[in-house]
Amino acid sequence: MVKMTDLPTKGGFSFDLCTRNQMLLDKGVQMPPFRKTGTTIVGLVFQDGVVLGADTRATEGPIVADKNCEKIHFMAPNIYCCGAGTAADTEAVTDMVSSQLQLHRYATGRESRVVTALTLLKSHLFSYQGHVSAALVLGGVDVTGPHLHTVYPHGSTDTLPFATMGSGSLAAMSVFESKYREGLTREEGIELVAEAICAGIFNDLGSGSNVDVCVITKGQTEYLRNYQLPNPRTYISSKGYSFVKGQTAVVVTKLVHVEAIFQLRVDEWQYRINWGLVQCLC
Amino acid sequence: MGDSQYSFSLTTFSPSGKLVQIEHALMAVGSGQTSLGIKATNGVVVATEKKLPSILVDETSVQKIQLVTPNIGVVYSGMGPDSRVLVRKSRKQAQQYFRLYKETIPVTQLVRETAAVMQEFTQSGGVRPFGVSLLIAGYDDNGPQLYQVDPSGSYFSWKASAMGKNVSNAKTFLEKRYTEDMELEDAIHTAILTLKEGFEGQISGKNIEIGIIGTDRQFRVLSSSEIDDYLAEVE
Repeated sequence: MVKMTDLPTKGGFSFDLCTRNQMLLDKGVQMPPFRKTGTTIVGLVFQDGVVLGADTRATEGPIVADKNCEKIHFMAPNIYCCGAGTAADTEAVTDMVSSQLQLHRYATGRESRVVTALTLLKSHLFSYQGHVSAALVLGGVDVTGPHLHTVYPHGSTDTLPFATMGSGSLAAMSVFESKYREGLTREEGIELVAEAICAGIFNDLGSGSNVDVCVITKGQTEYLRNYQLPNPRTYISSKGYSFVKGQTAVVVTKLVHVEAIFQLRVDEWQYRINWGLVQCLC
Repeated sequence: MGDSQYSFSLTTFSPSGKLVQIEHALMAVGSGQTSLGIKATNGVVVATEKKLPSILVDETSVQKIQLVTPNIGVVYSGMGPDSRVLVRKSRKQAQQYFRLYKETIPVTQLVRETAAVMQEFTQSGGVRPFGVSLLIAGYDDNGPQLYQVDPSGSYFSWKASAMGKNVSNAKTFLEKRYTEDMELEDAIHTAILTLKEGFEGQISGKNIEIGIIGTDRQFRVLSSSEIDDYLAEVE
């Protein structure tokens, strides 16, 4: 039978594997490190809308897994979400809610509201009891005005004029706490966000590389990917290396004659090398 | 005559090899308001009559032509509520496709999945077939496309098609008027003329609906004032 409305699946999340993981931990087995986004993500409300910012480093334990990843995710044309925590979780949850918002837009014929995205996210995260490790900064502008929220992995949310999340949040928050004021202009807002992210990039090991900024105002969104590149890669000489004859000492020279026989058959090729000089350097 | 004994149950074939319920569903479509679609070289246009049951109905609240994705729209002939269910399912399927493949769903795939849903309802217990035929218009990497999906779940790609009350006249008209190198603007005029053929009463922007998609790949429903402009051009 086909249902008219989609009822939630019975049973909810199965915690069997979590019990198993705990048992393994107790026995001393180490969990493999998953790719976390280390991260500094920030958002602030300025006079015409919201500005979101994020760094671009993804870490796998002590290793940088991605030097230029995208942490500002699209939710709706007027709503974007920065994600910290486990990269897969933030990607999956923002994709899922973005999809749900699109269906909602088709059904209602209206622009999505930030609170809708917020409620969809927090309900999902709460039902997974914190096991979906996604800490988000959600910002956007809708008919009711500009909004900025933080969402924690367990499903709690805050509504704030300025917010930071991730391992670099304290570094970024120090910048906001000293320099934020109400009624910032667009340029001031972008500059403050970039400064806060840079604070995270330079003072936190889990954050690094470049600054991504996203400015959302009524009717317009600007995604400034790699707004600042404070850590340019310096590559080795583009001319390459020249290996002059004589740089490597020749110990033995051996000349070998090799024969090449070309036989063309209908069903198969056969060949052996004919002429060639092979100089062995040993 | 023997068929009528098999007309009550959907899942029973009649001796002549037909599923009589589907025939009846096609009758429901045939008594619905006329709708049509025309595929041009640079886009697709779909149009439908929007006759409301009474002058008291707020016509701005009724929209027969719906979006499924930004580049695919759909119009129906037959039972409105049935089409709502199908549009809802199609939208969800398009989203699921995107979530899985990170590619916007090609028109053929969407048509196939919608047709599969309609076919399901011809082979299950306790349900009835959908009483609508859909015209799905879209523009993707394979260019402009127009598909018609029937209550049985069969679908065909059309250069121009009509369904509903005035189908035979409309199709004859389209056969005469359709040309392979038609552009979108010509197609819109032809669509309006075709609707005018069988229209009872005064045609205006308030009692027909037109949806178009061009090379910009954005499906949109024309406003009633835009339709009035086209009507003025056609006269």
